[in-house]
Amino acid sequence: MNDGPALAAATVPVRRGTGTVAVTGAAVLSAYGRGTEALLSGVLSGRPAFATVDRFDVAGRRVGVAATMPGSPDLLSELARVVHEACDEAGLSSSDRAGSPLFVAVHCHPEQARAAEADQRRLGPEAFAAAVADRSGLTRQGIRCYISACVAASTAVADAAALIARGRADRVVVAGGYLVDPDQFAIFDAGRVLADDGQVRPFSAGRRGLLLGDGVGALVIESAESARARRAVPLVRLAGWGRTGDAYHPCQPHPQGYGLARAVGAALQRAGIRAEDLGYLNAHGSGTGQSDPAETNALRLCLGDAVAMVPVSSTKSLHGQALEASGVLELIVTILAARKGILPINAGYLGVDDACRLNLVLGEPLAATPEYAMSLNAAFGGANTALVIGLP
Amino acid sequence: MTVPASVASLNALTSAAVAAGVTVTSSASWPESDSDGEVPALAGFIDSAFSPLVAEVVARTLRGRDPSDWASGNRDAGDRVTAVVVVTALGDVTSATRVAAVVDAGRRVPPLQFFQSVPNSVVGHLAARWHLTGPVACVTGTVAGLDMAAQLIEDADADEALVVRVDLKVTDGDRDRAAAVLVTGPADRERPGAAGT
Repeated sequence: MNDGPALAAATVPVRRGTGTVAVTGAAVLSAYGRGTEALLSGVLSGRPAFATVDRFDVAGRRVGVAATMPGSPDLLSELARVVHEACDEAGLSSSDRAGSPLFVAVHCHPEQARAAEADQRRLGPEAFAAAVADRSGLTRQGIRCYISACVAASTAVADAAALIARGRADRVVVAGGYLVDPDQFAIFDAGRVLADDGQVRPFSAGRRGLLLGDGVGALVIESAESARARRAVPLVRLAGWGRTGDAYHPCQPHPQGYGLARAVGAALQRAGIRAEDLGYLNAHGSGTGQSDPAETNALRLCLGDAVAMVPVSSTKSLHGQALEASGVLELIVTILAARKGILPINAGYLGVDDACRLNLVLGEPLAATPEYAMSLNAAFGGANTALVIGLP
Repeated sequence: MTVPASVASLNALTSAAVAAGVTVTSSASWPESDSDGEVPALAGFIDSAFSPLVAEVVARTLRGRDPSDWASGNRDAGDRVTAVVVVTALGDVTSATRVAAVVDAGRRVPPLQFFQSVPNSVVGHLAARWHLTGPVACVTGTVAGLDMAAQLIEDADADEALVVRVDLKVTDGDRDRAAAVLVTGPADRERPGAAGT
């Protein structure tokens, strides 16, 4: 492996359009319940939402724990509901909605794998995304469906921001959804990455892996002019975004975090801020053996001395890993916490791992009023994203 | 034989590239001739032709590049940043169907299914092999894929983008198909010299 190009690329400049990008609506479902209030109070309680799965049979699995809502919510209904709620918060009329393209992040059409062969072609993820648009009163024009694993939703957010900043779109609604299901649970169990002690412990000594969690969220992202025309008050600005690849391995991160560091650098650059301007960082923090040190190395590389100052937590330690929906769930947590002025803890922490030394929020939530905050995601394929929000 | 625009075809990718305002510098497809029978296996990926198909058309596309740009085995081909966008209407439906059957039978899923559970995985394999350090994305539509590629190049997230469309056969009358284009922006889109431009 030649690391030279990766390091050199860490300083490559990026561009963006000149438009200001605003988030004017956000809605969510998590294991803490439906709604942003339930999510915020849940993560600020510091109590992880993990419990024994009763949605399906886990008797044959190595691990039987996840963060789930009670019962078996329907993904299509829940996606339509969060899109509807986010549009309501943004004050969008029916005609506003009918003119808004939808970017959807999902793993697949939930019925596809068990459909008869003759039906599988009409049960693709794009058909599912179209159904969400139809139920939500959004246009099918310009619809996109992202299936890029754990960066699917965050990539959709970044793409929406890039289009709006360039004036190519006035508004995009981004939605992502994952509800813990028997197939992905079995796959992750087979991969032996689920934490067999029933807790996610990002950046901690003794961490034993990740746990899956429900997450369905939607964001209304639009130009500042578009928001102003309706007198909508932005929740936050989407100030910067970055997406990169590791070029390292099918499913392991680059151990030095070069790709993730470049994503962070691009997001800071587009936001026009320095590392020390970040007042909070919601880390990818999967809680696995390899990923957390790689992310720590990335943050040390791209934040420099500021790494000792920027408060960091991985809220996956509370609500779990929502796969394709992680990007919207964790960005919404970041938005809610930054606006509230209280930063969630990095739960499950047992003690220092020298390979993961960061300024973690531990014990109690931290009162802080960040001017800028960042949400990070990484995925199989070495895909990385960084999103920066700016508080009004 | 006519291939509908909704499945992997070089014509559909090329048309979408033109519409997105990017320039195709190399391309390939599967099958390209009658000799393309069974796609070569890809070590570490099992049961499904999805990842092997992506690997094969990417290898064909990159082999078609100017050797001065990409000398074999030379990972230092400038500081060129290449994005990879996989486009697939149904995803790896073969693997998804097999996992569902195993789960419904109450059996354990083969561990290798974990490593190929998302279309990103094969991109990671190829990115490491060909040193593709740009963004990695997977979407379901050809137009969206090329529009993304154009945006990534315009905003200097990448110098070029490899857009790969792959569609597995679903019924016996189908064929596995894949096509790929390597695209770059107009010549005036050089990397910016300063941030925020």
